[in-house]
Amino acid sequence: MIADFQEKYSNRHQIAGQWKKDGKKVFGYFCGYVPEELISAAGIIPVRVLGSLDTVSLADAHLQTFICAFARSCLDQGLKGVYDYLDGIVISKTCDITRKMLGIWAKNINIPFTAFIGAPSKRTESARDCLTEEFRDLRSKLEEFTGKKIDDDSINRSIEIYNNSRQLLNELYEMKKADNPPLSGSEFYQIVKTGFVTPKEEYNEMLSALKAKLASSKPSGDGKVRLMVSGSTFEDVNVLKMIEDVGGNVVADDLCIGSRYFRDLTQPASDPIRALADRYQMRITCPCKHPSDERLYRLIEEVKEYRVQGVISIVQKYCDTHLFEYPYMRDMLQKNDIPFLYLETEDRMGEEGQFKTRVQAFLEMMG
Amino acid sequence: MSEKKSAKAKRLKTAGKLGKLMEDYYTESAVVKAEKKPVAWLTSVAPVEVCYALDVFPLYPENYATMCSARKLSAEFCAEAEAKGFSPDLCSYALNSFGSIYLDKGPFMGKGLPEPDMLIATEHACLSMAKWWEVLARHYNVPLYVVDAALPIDEEVTSYQVKYFADQLRELVAFVEEHSGNKFDMDRFKEVLGYSDEASKLFTEVADLRKTIPSPVTPVEIFTNMFPLVTLAGKRESTEFYREFRDEIKALAEKKVPAVPNEKYRLLWDLFPVWYNLRLFSYMEEKGGVVVADVYATAFGGRIDISRPFEGLAERYVANPILTSGVPNLTELYKRLVKEFSVDGVVFHSNRSCRMASMGQYDIKQGIFDDLGVPGAIFETDFIDPRTYSDEQVKDTLDSLFEILEARK
Ligand code: SF4
Ligand code: SF4
Repeated sequence: MIADFQEKYSNRHQIAGQWKKDGKKVFGYFCGYVPEELISAAGIIPVRVLGSLDTVSLADAHLQTFICAFARSCLDQGLKGVYDYLDGIVISKTCDITRKMLGIWAKNINIPFTAFIGAPSKRTESARDCLTEEFRDLRSKLEEFTGKKIDDDSINRSIEIYNNSRQLLNELYEMKKADNPPLSGSEFYQIVKTGFVTPKEEYNEMLSALKAKLASSKPSGDGKVRLMVSGSTFEDVNVLKMIEDVGGNVVADDLCIGSRYFRDLTQPASDPIRALADRYQMRITCPCKHPSDERLYRLIEEVKEYRVQGVISIVQKYCDTHLFEYPYMRDMLQKNDIPFLYLETEDRMGEEGQFKTRVQAFLEMMG
Repeated sequence: MSEKKSAKAKRLKTAGKLGKLMEDYYTESAVVKAEKKPVAWLTSVAPVEVCYALDVFPLYPENYATMCSARKLSAEFCAEAEAKGFSPDLCSYALNSFGSIYLDKGPFMGKGLPEPDMLIATEHACLSMAKWWEVLARHYNVPLYVVDAALPIDEEVTSYQVKYFADQLRELVAFVEEHSGNKFDMDRFKEVLGYSDEASKLFTEVADLRKTIPSPVTPVEIFTNMFPLVTLAGKRESTEFYREFRDEIKALAEKKVPAVPNEKYRLLWDLFPVWYNLRLFSYMEEKGGVVVADVYATAFGGRIDISRPFEGLAERYVANPILTSGVPNLTELYKRLVKEFSVDGVVFHSNRSCRMASMGQYDIKQGIFDDLGVPGAIFETDFIDPRTYSDEQVKDTLDSLFEILEARK
């Protein structure tokens, strides 16, 4: 079952190429603050732009050494033509790197449509009003691009599908509270990643089937140390596998490609654009938003709920917003007597090897 | 200050006034604090006009960092912040600020900046500012207001983006009123905005006078004279200072008095100065290279429509051309400067502290060369922390640009 998810993810570019041959439109989006629901309601398949573990060769001519490896890898993939199937890209104002990425993509990669959502950071009423207007603008731009109106009904349908998807992920995540979670960390995040590149109806079917199967399975106790991973955009499942190999299991997360993505659902409202704006502005924050304390309070709570024994923070080198928050997070965990390991990822090339001894020592320390 | 700099400073009458303005400002900050009057710390490109209108004394850790750097204190401060767990990769303005707080040391009276009673941050220049101010708010346990912006990139600013900012300016007024105990007065606010707008206008006039060949003003004079524009925006003194500065430069321009005797190559500078090594400009000047335009100063200031005080002020911030442009529009903006200022070459300071401003430089450099045939050079260093600075490498990069320029003359 997991193999299906794995396979879809590995073949994602070929699959998208096939969609194109079938006459479909595909958009890339850059982070968890882009309203996929709207893109999907326009009849366009949204896929998240992610990097790969390939050696970076072309991006170095465009980016200084001090730009995070994640953004570098994404751009490199784009420059290599891996994302040539994209009809458009949509970026929302989150970190400074992502914000500047738009122009570099626009200049160097031939993409017919680009849009930037000047998203506010705060959670106030006026911020939500503003985001509502930003989303309306995006809707108009999408309508202009496709030549078709996007009516409220289609947005509502899209919201329902996405809510469904997030709900299913929440249910799977919930299962990880068990003593012997039926999904390992590496399996779970593989599943989440596949969701970023699969049309949601299809993905929801996969998730439902998986859920049914897991409900009847009887996993045996794994005796592994229960861990949480926190950090910046992070898509290298190998690191999670390494953690499992040395006796840990990631049962909870504070990741942009994890629970921060699926935790919050959209609450239905008479104006679906407003409903989406509320969801995206009030969702669990990424450290790019302000104030971002809530993320850390929730982290502490979740450590308890998921009976997490230790937290591993994996931060991209040069990821300012996460780095600014690190000392605060460290102190907060210390105050709560939660063991904590900090790992900084730089080039993503076989780093699981370098991290292994440190994770081992961390697990030993916790006994 | 080094002898060389003070020798240069004497070239202009206004230079002495600047020194006095700065000294007065920092002396006053200590007095204000001693009298228990309210002090706010602000990020750059923050609406300081609200503070002046409400008699709250504004302090700028960023400007302060440039001074710490010039007095060779930044390395120690940054190292101290790193010892507390802050990554050495973070903006060194922030690291400098944290270190100065932890050590309670600084260039004025040997102490750090007077403690804030309230904190005001923007985050449209970069997100580091809001994160840095969050750290300050926790450290001092004082209220923080973040003025957030929804910004376009390479598109027109929309009315709701202006509205969002303007709404927050009104909230900011209420915030400052609450934490200062002072009452807001619209007439006073308009007066402050008037001074701020006027200073900005005058400063831009000086910048435009650099179109004159040879340039009547040096880049060091421009960069050091930005202090009142940023810090005293809204004070009568600032406006008066810029009027004199403008008149002085204008007279020099009319008489075609060169600021640098042998101006051979006219250069565009992107973006931050290397604050601990302003002598780099002299190095270029010895080779005939004079910086006649820069993008740094353009990022500050901007006009204000005073008839709509909040919206007008919001527009200035939200429509900031540097902050709302991606690589395509930035390339056009630089190309315009190259043409208008008769620029022969572009020097890019890739500042490892400021990812936001440095990202895209490679593409912009290429774009200027492709479209106008004007060459550029990029060197990488940090703008206030000298620990990784290599004079040799930087000069090598500059030399190779001069070789290209030489070959073309
Ligand atoms: S890893 Fe950090 S710096 Fe890099 S794109 Fe993500 S949020 Fe931005
Ligand atoms: S990162 Fe850049 S814009 Fe932000 S505070 Fe530092 S120097 Fe200023």
